[in-house]
Amino acid sequence: MADLFPPLVTAQIDDKPKVDEKVDYSNLPCPVPYEELHREAYMSLKPDTFEGLRFDFTKGLNQKFGLCHSVMMGPTEVPSQSPDTVIKIPTAHYEFGANYIDPKLMLVGRVMTDGRQSARVRADLTDKLMVKANAQLANEPHMSQAMFNFDYMGSDYRAQLQFGNNALVGANYIQSVTPRLSLGGEVFWVGVPRKSGIGYAARYETDKMVASGQVASTGLMAMNYVQKVSDKVSLATDFMYNYFSREAVASVGYDYMLRQSRVRGKIDSNGVASALLEERLSMGLNFLMSAELDHKKKDYKFGFGLTVG
Amino acid sequence: MAAKPSLKNKGRGKGPKGSSSSTSSSSSSKYELVKEWTNWSLKKAKVATQYGFIPLIIIIGMKSDPKPHLFQLLSPV
Repeated sequence: MADLFPPLVTAQIDDKPKVDEKVDYSNLPCPVPYEELHREAYMSLKPDTFEGLRFDFTKGLNQKFGLCHSVMMGPTEVPSQSPDTVIKIPTAHYEFGANYIDPKLMLVGRVMTDGRQSARVRADLTDKLMVKANAQLANEPHMSQAMFNFDYMGSDYRAQLQFGNNALVGANYIQSVTPRLSLGGEVFWVGVPRKSGIGYAARYETDKMVASGQVASTGLMAMNYVQKVSDKVSLATDFMYNYFSREAVASVGYDYMLRQSRVRGKIDSNGVASALLEERLSMGLNFLMSAELDHKKKDYKFGFGLTVG
Repeated sequence: MAAKPSLKNKGRGKGPKGSSSSTSSSSSSKYELVKEWTNWSLKKAKVATQYGFIPLIIIIGMKSDPKPHLFQLLSPV
């Protein structure tokens, strides 16, 4: 069957006449979704640090459906005029949530005591087409946000169309070029400050490392590298540069996945050092401790919490 | 209270971007109408989501197999 086909022009034709013994271009794996390009790096470098007390209780009613109750008490940051001072207001709130997780449909909803709600829907319309919606609603007018995504998954590519409020339209596309390298691009158009942008991204991964980079016309350039040193340890580093405002930030972080605990920490060139510890006290009971020290702004945040279920 | 958009407001640039429709050309008035209808429907959709999304998840969850009891929904254990 291979002799009948003419020499190929692009790598996207289904049947390639000459099958390379090392690389089979007709059988490339599907790349990661465009928004998860930096997934491994951000798992280590952007741990979910918090300040104050956090208590989460998740009750599963059956395999797919669960309710969760969460209490958070602590200072919350309020945006201030000058970037050097930090204004915090102590708040306490309770959040109720319901999750329904099915292979084909996922619904997650959360509502807080101050009236803010968040809703996430993910539905698989067909094998290849997926719809996602994400909304953050508030009682004040003009403070709500929503985003709808339509994802199409091909054999070795993914395409996504996005619609958001404030007339945001975006599209992105990512293609596997070799089994390890995938390249992608995105365009978006925002209605309210009339802006449009275009960006490119690349991701190279092997068993032991992942390197990815992204450039956008908004001036953002980001590169990161993650090395999986062993089963339990991975190290990551990140460099972000804005070529319009000439600001650069570099950070180095680690992620230790031990049997009973998981520690993640990072240090930044802005003088920020942060760490998050999740310790499994027993089945279903996790203890969290988080710290974030910002030496430049002299803002020190410490938090502790418990997660049940 | 979001009143239904009426045809009387056709001539005035009323949307958030306030297009300068000094001429009453039909294309710009249709655009204004479309914008007002989409604003109205988005406001209704937002209210529906705010009040109805979490009850919808709970109803779908209570109908899934194996059906949980109402007692399990309300008890803290």
